[in-house]
Amino acid sequence: MLFGGAAAAASLHTGVADARIRPEDMVPLIGPGFRPTEKDEMGLWKEMDRAEEEISGSNLVIQDPKLEGYLKNIIGTVGGPAAHDFRIYLVRIPDFNAMMFPSGFAVVFSGLLLRMRNEAQLAGVIAHESGHFLRRHMIRSWRDMRRKTDLLAIGSMLAGIGGAGAGVYLGDYVQLAQLGTILSLLQYSRGMEAEADAMGARLMERNDYPPIEMANIWEQLIGEETASARYRGKRRRRGSLFDTHPSEGSRMVDLRADAQELTVAGKAYDSRRQRYLSTIAEIRPTLLDDQVKLNDPGASQYLIETLAQDGWNGLLRFCEGEVWRLRNRPGDALRADQSYAAAIAYPDAPADAWRWHGIALMKQGRAAEAKAAFARYLTMKPDATDAAWVRQMMG
Amino acid sequence: MKLLTGLALLGTTAALSACGSLGTGEYGYSDYGLVHVTRVNVGDGQMSVVAPRPYNRHRRILFSDVRDVEDWTLNGPILDGISFVSGMNNNRELIRQRRTADQQVPRFRSDMTPPEITAMLESLYRVKGGAVDLKTLSLQPRPFLGANGFQWDYEHLDQDELWRRGRAVGAVIDGKLYMILLDAARSHYYDAELPDFEAIVASAQRRG
Repeated sequence: MLFGGAAAAASLHTGVADARIRPEDMVPLIGPGFRPTEKDEMGLWKEMDRAEEEISGSNLVIQDPKLEGYLKNIIGTVGGPAAHDFRIYLVRIPDFNAMMFPSGFAVVFSGLLLRMRNEAQLAGVIAHESGHFLRRHMIRSWRDMRRKTDLLAIGSMLAGIGGAGAGVYLGDYVQLAQLGTILSLLQYSRGMEAEADAMGARLMERNDYPPIEMANIWEQLIGEETASARYRGKRRRRGSLFDTHPSEGSRMVDLRADAQELTVAGKAYDSRRQRYLSTIAEIRPTLLDDQVKLNDPGASQYLIETLAQDGWNGLLRFCEGEVWRLRNRPGDALRADQSYAAAIAYPDAPADAWRWHGIALMKQGRAAEAKAAFARYLTMKPDATDAAWVRQMMG
Repeated sequence: MKLLTGLALLGTTAALSACGSLGTGEYGYSDYGLVHVTRVNVGDGQMSVVAPRPYNRHRRILFSDVRDVEDWTLNGPILDGISFVSGMNNNRELIRQRRTADQQVPRFRSDMTPPEITAMLESLYRVKGGAVDLKTLSLQPRPFLGANGFQWDYEHLDQDELWRRGRAVGAVIDGKLYMILLDAARSHYYDAELPDFEAIVASAQRRG
């Protein structure tokens, strides 16, 4: 998991110096076709099989053969020895997260696809998650925790999964994410995260992805969280790994050192950005829409500006307008309309940019111009669900 | 405002202990009160309706404390709900929220057009209801309370993996938002309750 408090787990490593784990030391602890042989791990896998069955049939899974194939291909590339054993599911949750379950299936949130700027970054997250599996972190944490507490049984810990499957309401309205909560019980220590970072960077480099992208991902994550918190007038508080350690900076230093150590002079690396962008092109407007409508202006604006570093376009300008419109403070209506007006100057402007531009013009009393904008909207989207209302506005 | 399957339940739990002191003359704990088949005021009393059969009104304790919003249900908030907004003023919110929350439901503004009102509702579902997908099925003009109003039909997929469907009928009159909204599980419950909803909308009157 990218997130999932390491606070408790940090105690596992009390007194251990934070020496950097070197990518070259990270050898996979399992081979292809791994199956558990010990009783506790077999029990854990059995429960996870039930979880996977539920997740794979969930309404939240995005059924898109192209994206599914793409993700499968990436995990098949950076998954090390287990590459062909992994399963991967894309679910529609507008959050920056991905997680690997103990039996070797990964869940990627749609919000991750929005935030990655190239294939190397996506592969980096998946490689990091694979690293947890290849280094057997789940079972190691689990055993460690059981030894310490001896209170939890797999059955009770996983009650949520059975409950959700049976339609029993268990008090957590985010049932799929509840699996994430359960996984957070299998907390990774700081040392394990460092291992997954190092292993992930190594898997990236082997497949000709620039390993520095691993560091860039974390930088973007911190940037977004900081922007979101600053906007609401508070300090960054999200329960990310970074918060639980004094060494946020040192992790970045480690990631950069990993990249430097792994990068082979003269070797051609490729972030495969074009392939990434063309693969997610169709779903990107939906991903942006899901984010913007959360009305988290700091985070949304940060994301839009980050994506715009690769060039502004009609979609991004439109989304910028949406951010201001939903923020809805004095002056924002004007700000929003400036963005819509900018958006429609681009050939890829979404039809909705014309509609919102028309509404803004109408409010300003510029009826004729509003009518033209609405007409353009209806031309672009003849079967618009709100056509009846728009026609009424056109008079 | 109900709309919030999970949050509604959390509210239920929180409110249980508080209900004992309501003094309704009934024994036992409940956060629901009975709505009789007669004209009743809803929200802060600026609108009245007649229910075609008895309904359950969610008491406004701890959880649903926005004065001009009221929630009813027939089978429980997970399955269905009818919500009333009875003349919400400019700059008010549909639901209480902390000013420092990362994700917020936009405030109502008197000059909002129907697409802006529906966008505000969409954010409510996404931010507070955990909806991961919301589709507009149609937005069309519809008279309401004798004014030029709108009807919004939509459906949404929530994080409990259930598709729900809704219809909102509303209008902005003298700068205030009046609205009645049905939101129910898409399979069975929406269709089953739609006639009730339409009867309630048809019965709606604005007070003074």
